Amino acid sequence: MRSSINRPPTPDANEEPEKEPTLQEIINIKLIESGEKEKLMELLRERLIECGWRDEMKAICRAYARKKGRNNVTVDDLIHVVTPKGRASVPDSVKAELLQRIRSFLTSAAI
Amino acid sequence: MSSSSAARAIRLPPPCPHLAAYRSGGGGTPFRSLHRCLRPRPPSRAEVRRDPGEVPFCASCPPAAAHRGLRLYACLSCAAVSCHAHVSDHAALRPGHEIALDVDRAELFCAACRDQVYDPDFDAAVVIALTSLSCSRIPPPPPPPEKCAKRRRVEYRPWVPDPKGRAVIGRRSSPLLVQEGNASSASSTTTTANSTTTTTSSPSSSASSPSSLPRGLRGINNLGNTCFMNSVLQALLHTPLLRNYFLSDRHNRYVCQQKSKKKGGIKEKSNVVERKNPARESHVCLACDLDTMYAAVFSEDRKPFSPANFLYSWWQHASNLASYEQQDAHEFFISMLDGIHEKEQDQCKHQSHGNGDCCIAHKVFSGILRSDVTCTICGFTSTTYDPCVDISLDLDSSRDAVQIATSKLQTCESDTESMLTSQAYGISTLMGCLEHFTRPEKLGADQKFFCENCRARQESLKQMSIRKIPLVTCFHIKRFEHSLIRNMSRKVDRHLHFPFSLDMGPYLSSSILRARYGNRIFAFDGDDSDASTDLASEFELFAVLTHSGKLEGGHYITYLRLNNQWYKCDDAWVSHVSESIVRASQAYMLFYVQKILYYRASQHVFAS
Repeated sequence: MRSSINRPPTPDANEEPEKEPTLQEIINIKLIESGEKEKLMELLRERLIECGWRDEMKAICRAYARKKGRNNVTVDDLIHVVTPKGRASVPDSVKAELLQRIRSFLTSAAI
Repeated sequence: MSSSSAARAIRLPPPCPHLAAYRSGGGGTPFRSLHRCLRPRPPSRAEVRRDPGEVPFCASCPPAAAHRGLRLYACLSCAAVSCHAHVSDHAALRPGHEIALDVDRAELFCAACRDQVYDPDFDAAVVIALTSLSCSRIPPPPPPPEKCAKRRRVEYRPWVPDPKGRAVIGRRSSPLLVQEGNASSASSTTTTANSTTTTTSSPSSSASSPSSLPRGLRGINNLGNTCFMNSVLQALLHTPLLRNYFLSDRHNRYVCQQKSKKKGGIKEKSNVVERKNPARESHVCLACDLDTMYAAVFSEDRKPFSPANFLYSWWQHASNLASYEQQDAHEFFISMLDGIHEKEQDQCKHQSHGNGDCCIAHKVFSGILRSDVTCTICGFTSTTYDPCVDISLDLDSSRDAVQIATSKLQTCESDTESMLTSQAYGISTLMGCLEHFTRPEKLGADQKFFCENCRARQESLKQMSIRKIPLVTCFHIKRFEHSLIRNMSRKVDRHLHFPFSLDMGPYLSSSILRARYGNRIFAFDGDDSDASTDLASEFELFAVLTHSGKLEGGHYITYLRLNNQWYKCDDAWVSHVSESIVRASQAYMLFYVQKILYYRASQHVFAS
């Protein structure tokens, strides 16, 4: 079989017209275009590793996998278990630092 | 970083039916074209992008959807990108399109089973692609010859004597535990040729009585601020391989003296002539003095020993340190190994120290450290190997530990394991220091490294790991910090918790490399997945050197572990102490030996 047959499906011609992008979307696009989002992601990763948050999440996942049995756990399970705990336990200092960075980016990007 | 040895012996999970079907249907082609899209994201991930700046998003999500850009999977058959919610729809509509690729991690996912799947060929392709991207075009310096590693790959099998063997051993051996005091409190476990009674072993009760000190324990007199020397000597006198080497007469001081006399006769007479003892003065050999010391310390004599000859020889070797001032024990340790090396190595060709073939000191203590510097922009890595005789560790800061404690208060419930609790209370541990040593460290903006790939100075990450662990590992804890403000150094007295048994597996280069490209099933550089390597990275503590006092003046004490009992060696005074005292002491140097070489207690070998 030729690989050209396996192309992704072509988008519908009568798709609804794009609405006016929201402010959130504009900010997101600006963040991505300037490469700032990538930098912020890296910074966030660094901080979360430094403060031990990632190790804590790993331990929670391990405990869960041990309890359920290694072969009865899927990626989705782990994500459902870990996400609420993870969101709740991000240290305030990390949140504050990232908000500060985003704020300064916005003022400099002068939207 | 996973620290369980089970994680290192990789057991391949069976492929799900969809992955098996995909592979048998000739799934080779997408793997091969993948390498063009793989981009390393240091320190430990790899992503998949068709162009460097591509921002993928889910084709099925409406533009404003929250998870349009999160957890995306690219179908291996048609390259359609879907988010985790829509990836199953794609698979359901198109049979044969179940296998997808996580675009941020380059890991396989089966959309029908909704779970991660593993394929060794895929992982191999990813790792090869990434390492060829990261390696220099100039061939790297050759790593130490493989025969060294192969030599240690002999499988360890514990040996128990058969009855015939036991009889031979009984006839031809004498007990190491010297029995003093009561005949009833028996500590010897083998029959000797002379004794008429066979004594049963009750090791723990009698070994704790101070009168029955094991052989080889002897105080060393302080000759004037020489506690730095005494403490290191006590540790070396009981270093398993070194002790065996000297006690089996491998360096005989008389033979060595004869050899050097012969050499002296051939060479022209030096212009420095000593009146007292010409032969003695021309022959200064630290190994010979050590030989004398071993003989003296392991003899029956319990009176404290004065290492005057050794001190003199060492002063000749390290003339800059020759004084009665207080010195640093670690400096003395390095200088001493160097002195032994100098004398032992002239018979063989000059080899790199990492081999350890040059002298007994390097055979026992030398290892190889690997240092990787990675460009954060393109992932290009430059690797260097350095031999070492010890590992100097910074005390890990407990600042980060305190943050976990506060964040734990915020979580509603937590099933975190107890391994985190010690960090939560701000105590430094040896494993914490090792993790700090092998962490990827971001070099500052002022220390940009010239990346050959980018041909520019870029910000980079540095990561250390242990390429070859020495047979005896000496950890040196850097207990001093330099304050730039006051321009002076001071000692850090913070307590360090250290284990009696240590698994060095997670700090080896093979483990560090494995973690670098994500979750891969792949055999790495110098990696063995057989059991002998697991054993080869397990270590037992046998000596602890502690320092009390300040940077300018203090006192060194060594704690030795013999037959699972702890003995405190404070210059001329040797006494039995409990485990808890050792655990509470302030460690400055820690000596660990490979478990397979460590005889924890000889009493259990023969039960009479």
